[in-house]
Amino acid sequence: MKSLSTSQRHYKVLFITILVLFALVYLAPLYVMLTTSFKGIEEIRSGNILALPETLNVSAWTKAWSSACTGGDCYGLAPYFWNSIRIVLPAVFISTVIGALNGYVLSQWRFKGSNFLFGALLFGCFIPFQVILLPMAMLLAWLGLANTVPGLVLVHVIYGVAFTTLFFRNYYVGIPTELVRAARLDGAGFFAIFRHVFLPLSTPIIVVSVIWQFTQIWNDFLFGVVYSGPGTQPITVALNNLVNTTMGGKEYNVDMAAAVIAALPTLVVYLVAGKYFVRGLTAGAVKG
Amino acid sequence: MGSIQIQQLTKFFGDTQVLKGIDLDIKDGEFLILVGPSGCGKSTLMNSIAGLEDVSSGDILIDGVNVTDLSPKERDIAMVFQSYALYPTMSVSRNISFGLEMRKVPKAEIEKTVADVSQLLQIEHLLDRKPSALSGGQRQRVAMGRALARNPRVFLFDEPLSNLDAKLRVEMRTEIKKLHKRLGTTIVYVTHDQVEAMTLADRIAVMKDGQVQQFGTPYEIYNNPANRFVADFMGSPPMNFIECVVLDDKLVIESQGEKFELQVAHGEIVRQAGLETVILGIRPEMMTEPKPHVMGALVHSIPMQIDVIEPMGPDTIAFGQWNGVEVQARLSPEAGVEAQTKGSICLQVDTSKAVLFDTFSGVRLDA
Repeated sequence: MKSLSTSQRHYKVLFITILVLFALVYLAPLYVMLTTSFKGIEEIRSGNILALPETLNVSAWTKAWSSACTGGDCYGLAPYFWNSIRIVLPAVFISTVIGALNGYVLSQWRFKGSNFLFGALLFGCFIPFQVILLPMAMLLAWLGLANTVPGLVLVHVIYGVAFTTLFFRNYYVGIPTELVRAARLDGAGFFAIFRHVFLPLSTPIIVVSVIWQFTQIWNDFLFGVVYSGPGTQPITVALNNLVNTTMGGKEYNVDMAAAVIAALPTLVVYLVAGKYFVRGLTAGAVKG
Repeated sequence: MGSIQIQQLTKFFGDTQVLKGIDLDIKDGEFLILVGPSGCGKSTLMNSIAGLEDVSSGDILIDGVNVTDLSPKERDIAMVFQSYALYPTMSVSRNISFGLEMRKVPKAEIEKTVADVSQLLQIEHLLDRKPSALSGGQRQRVAMGRALARNPRVFLFDEPLSNLDAKLRVEMRTEIKKLHKRLGTTIVYVTHDQVEAMTLADRIAVMKDGQVQQFGTPYEIYNNPANRFVADFMGSPPMNFIECVVLDDKLVIESQGEKFELQVAHGEIVRQAGLETVILGIRPEMMTEPKPHVMGALVHSIPMQIDVIEPMGPDTIAFGQWNGVEVQARLSPEAGVEAQTKGSICLQVDTSKAVLFDTFSGVRLDA
């Protein structure tokens, strides 16, 4: 290792100090959320916001999970958590599969107009959610999917395909076309080539697609609030209702616990697959 | 089991015509080389034979059966790609067996084939590795193994040696030739390297601008080129092209301010055609230091001032000027040293194999 000169060492200390400061600024709200969620309501009113809880009181967590009131009902976040799972898993899976096939076709099986089609699909990434609210509501009603979980899955799949196609197309475009030609001469068809040659190469970009779609759909509020019915609301909508429903005083500890519960799955996904995420986003050409 | 007939094949990419009516008749077991400068359409022609590229018109027949509209899979052809195109996630042995697997060959038979092929190509110790852990030469062997395993009617090679270093290229060249001798399967081989073409081919098709310029044995192509392009493309160092004034049935060479008359084998053709000038095509090896045992009416003695000397090892190339154009002569190393010290040499010019081209069209005159 090269030894650093004195001035270089000073810069390094300066940079690290700045980075630590920024990290603290970003972590402070999380700290407050976590500590507050373990405090009793009396302790919150009287104590310092930055102080650690005197005892680990989990009653706010159990209340947020199973008995806090979200509007009229008082079942906590649990039912809505499962609603979100039921929306997110199929939506992520379907949009990733379609995106992978789209990207495979648009990069390796080009046809007349395929570039135009790709451009049109890209355009989908730039359409603001609000623009399609009404027409999509009409479409869902017409399909008989209004206020249902499959309806929300459909909306998220349609919206997500633009992004997943972009991911997979840009990844597969770096894979030499000669691989497809070799496989065709070897007797493999369209799907066999996808399954045996392309899919095994795709781990990094599948991870990118899954993380992206998972966080987008899990965190979505607008579609969730517009297209869900009373029994199919996702957790983001329930969190909003929980925080806005007050019986007596505001229970900050329950609000904080609920917010952490709502954010937990995306955090877990990041922690588990985060290193692949960066790797996948920066992956260029795949060398044979 | 693998004759190919190509009839009036054309191919357009948009408005550009890349194949302009190709006719080739490739015999079963023949080693055919498609050679030409880049952009001549040779790779397109090969891809058309493989079925990877649709043709605009014309027919391709394999063993008399029209395969023009068949998919690559149905043509029973294997191909070795320039980039090797090995499946990066599969082991060497699966790379070799993949084609058989896709064709639903029984497992025991696949294992036997992989063993046979890997033994033939001496890659048994690599079977469990991934392509990324192989050297260029090893990848080349695996790519050939993948083609061999299928035991197809025709092999296509698309510039297979161009990514190897010079020494390995020569080694693999010999190996491919041996392999062809042993298997006897028809091979169509694309290259832009005229040395590869000369050394490997039973017959060569020289292509330019989407047309076959000449189709013949290496001997015919080298010694009896159909036009100036073929003569220029084949041979290293290249043939000399000297524009000469015609004097009766002789050609005039001007060197160091003096004029020399050159007799050629078919001088009467030039006289009958009534041309003022022709292009004399003569290979460097026919312009040497004096060799007393070579005699006859077609052997001349003409001096040349030496501009540059390039020793190649077995012989030495001397550069000079005749009729205002650069010419190259092939000398023995000893004569080369002597010529360099003297600054000039009296060349022995043997026109027995010289050829004549039209000054403007480049068409062969004396064929």
